[in-house]
Amino acid sequence: MKSLQIAATGMAAQQLRVDVISNNIANMSTAAYRPRTAEFSDLMYQQYLTPGTITSQVGTVVPAGIQLGTGVKPSTVSMEISQGGLRETGSELDLAIDGTGFFEVALPSGESVYTRDGKLNRSPDGEIVTMDGYPLADGIIIPEDARRISISRDGEVVAYFDNEAVGQPIGTISLVRFVNEKGLEALGDNVFRETEASGPPNRLVPETEGVGALRQGYLEDSSVDVVKEISELIEAQRGYELNSKVISASDEMLAATTRVR
Amino acid sequence: MSDAILAALARQEGLMREMQVVANNIANANTTGYKTDRALFAEFIAGGEKGSDGISMGSLAGHSFDLAPGELRVTGGQFDLAIQGEGFFLVQTPAGERLTRAGHFQLSSEGNLIDAAGNNVLDPAGNEIQIPEQITKVAIAADGTISGDGEIFGRLGVVTPEGELQQEGGTMFSAPEGYQPTEGGQLVQGALEQSNVSPILEISRMIEVQRAYEAGQALFDKEDERVSRFIETLRQL
Repeated sequence: MKSLQIAATGMAAQQLRVDVISNNIANMSTAAYRPRTAEFSDLMYQQYLTPGTITSQVGTVVPAGIQLGTGVKPSTVSMEISQGGLRETGSELDLAIDGTGFFEVALPSGESVYTRDGKLNRSPDGEIVTMDGYPLADGIIIPEDARRISISRDGEVVAYFDNEAVGQPIGTISLVRFVNEKGLEALGDNVFRETEASGPPNRLVPETEGVGALRQGYLEDSSVDVVKEISELIEAQRGYELNSKVISASDEMLAATTRVR
Repeated sequence: MSDAILAALARQEGLMREMQVVANNIANANTTGYKTDRALFAEFIAGGEKGSDGISMGSLAGHSFDLAPGELRVTGGQFDLAIQGEGFFLVQTPAGERLTRAGHFQLSSEGNLIDAAGNNVLDPAGNEIQIPEQITKVAIAADGTISGDGEIFGRLGVVTPEGELQQEGGTMFSAPEGYQPTEGGQLVQGALEQSNVSPILEISRMIEVQRAYEAGQALFDKEDERVSRFIETLRQL
């Protein structure tokens, strides 16, 4: 009775969909979070009678054959590449990326990870660090006596001091681009790691060669569309129920078989 | 075994397989680009007992898929493509060229257009489609022209198969008799074609199959009863 297993693959697929949706909804307020979508594809087919099988000496062939499907499998859970809304925070170290690109963060291990979450801070020694305390790979150190800093759209960081009208440039924040952003590996904590699929990182100056511009005093909101997620959730729930109906119908067919002496 | 049992058995076996087809449709009710499958039954004549003209039996003779278009779901993805009208995308898999309506594509690390399984998407002439790295906004027109920054990089065409299609899993079809480019289909960027499975039709079909199966089992019961009564009567003579 294959329909039992087939319906089970269907239920597993809908379950996965609910998992993905619930993670999206849970992250509806996470800075720069991009929703994921689960995509499915059908499993292989059992070829009972292959189309094209010759049926006579004159070369007539079976037009459609008999191919029985065996269920469904998840094909990808991929990130939607979309721009989240920009929220004004007024904080001088809040940076939003308007367009494509990632900040490069240097981990203590020496490895680089990438994030779009621009909630930055100053470390005790003046370095620009992420919320977890890891420095940006650009290694910009803000002088202790700087009154305020300004970051331009193209990433130039300028520090202003008391009794000096003109600021001093102290570095540039660069952005990193990947050919295939969907291929990045999500590590949690809003950071990603490069993979074979994403391609190597390409460090660029903001607002050049297609990378986005920096916006000081803004943070990128999560781009989760809650209405869409909820309607998908309803769809997934109904899909789950439909598959469970197949299981009970198959079960009743089996029961009818066992009732026969 | 009696003819009645044989005929009913052929029917039961067919119903079991049809149940599998229905279960597969329902399991794929949310699979992008999936096409509903249908089982077809045909009569065949089996030689019956001596002197009879043979008995008519039904068996699963083939299947057909319903190529009706599915609804379009707007995703906004740059490389999410749906075909409005006829035609298929052409994809190069390790096993050969395949046709699919599931247009959930992305770029490889080399900038090639690939499908969710990493297979290259081809233009109708069979070439890979490459998009230069510095282009971030890619536009794909209804006729498949891929452009960005005012430059054209290629054309993503759609093809129609010649002859019958064969299902291969992964929402792919193979066309053993080849394919040819078509102008019929229009591409829609930022949308995916949903499965064309109608849950209502499938559930009613499922109930039908289930009841027919139960009726078949009841027939076995009755036939068994008839034979045993016949034996009983013979003994009493």
